Amino acid sequence: MLGWRIDRGPIWSEFDRLQRGVDELFTALTGYRKPTLEAPWRQARIFPLLNLKEIENSYVVTAEIPGMRTEDLEIKIEGDTLTLKGERKPHELNEGASYHRRERATGTFQRSLTLPTKIDSENVNATYKDGVLTVTLQKEKEALPKQIPVKTE
Amino acid sequence: MERGITEMADETLEIHEKQEVGPELTLEGPYFSPAVDIYGTETGLVLVADMPGVGADQVEIDLREDILSILGKVPSGGAEGQTVLTEYRTGNYFRTFRLTEDIDRSKITAAISDGVLKLTLPKSAKAIPRKIPITAG
Repeated sequence: MLGWRIDRGPIWSEFDRLQRGVDELFTALTGYRKPTLEAPWRQARIFPLLNLKEIENSYVVTAEIPGMRTEDLEIKIEGDTLTLKGERKPHELNEGASYHRRERATGTFQRSLTLPTKIDSENVNATYKDGVLTVTLQKEKEALPKQIPVKTE
Repeated sequence: MERGITEMADETLEIHEKQEVGPELTLEGPYFSPAVDIYGTETGLVLVADMPGVGADQVEIDLREDILSILGKVPSGGAEGQTVLTEYRTGNYFRTFRLTEDIDRSKITAAISDGVLKLTLPKSAKAIPRKIPITAG
């Protein structure tokens, strides 16, 4: 089973508390209960969304983070946990310019993903192409499956 | 009402989560509506669209009468390996906009880098406000 957690910073916990309060009030008034089994990443604030693949002895994590400068992106490995941190800076408009529509998210983000096995932290490779970040992690030797030969006596 | 450009479909958009759009398109696979910023300057409009996974040779911008459509093709990911976690799906991007009269169709330019498409839509000369100097007589 894969264990993973989401960290979205302390500001949001206050909003979450408020959200829960409003949900409770809504349930009390209408009797309607919000489905609780909704996947956590369906909540719009989580960024970036991650996909994880296992390819033989490595894990490949991909994230769609368009328009980033690589120097604004920080990747860390601690034990079996990968942390992505960064800032998507808003475009500075010139004087006299104004937004008609604004859907693209900006701001700082942080996400952690706990991988199913320990990771060789010396052997991590990250690439960024067309707005997609790909992090390739090798499983630690101890975590690799071992074949145990059976001796006949 | 936005001047210069309006979206064709009246839709409510959520930020971050990719919105799948209808299957009326000819290419296979799911289509998503890219998140878009539009800002106006004195000389025109700039449209910025997030299309992660789309390279420079995979964008098609089409202008037919008043309808500007953007299509970004995402090559389907390798089937290699075993999926452990899928939080987002990949697919092509498609969205259409309606241009108003004051955009100079012949001068629209487009560029894409790091999965962000930027379209510059200049206003036609007669739509740009001009200061008329007053001479003392």
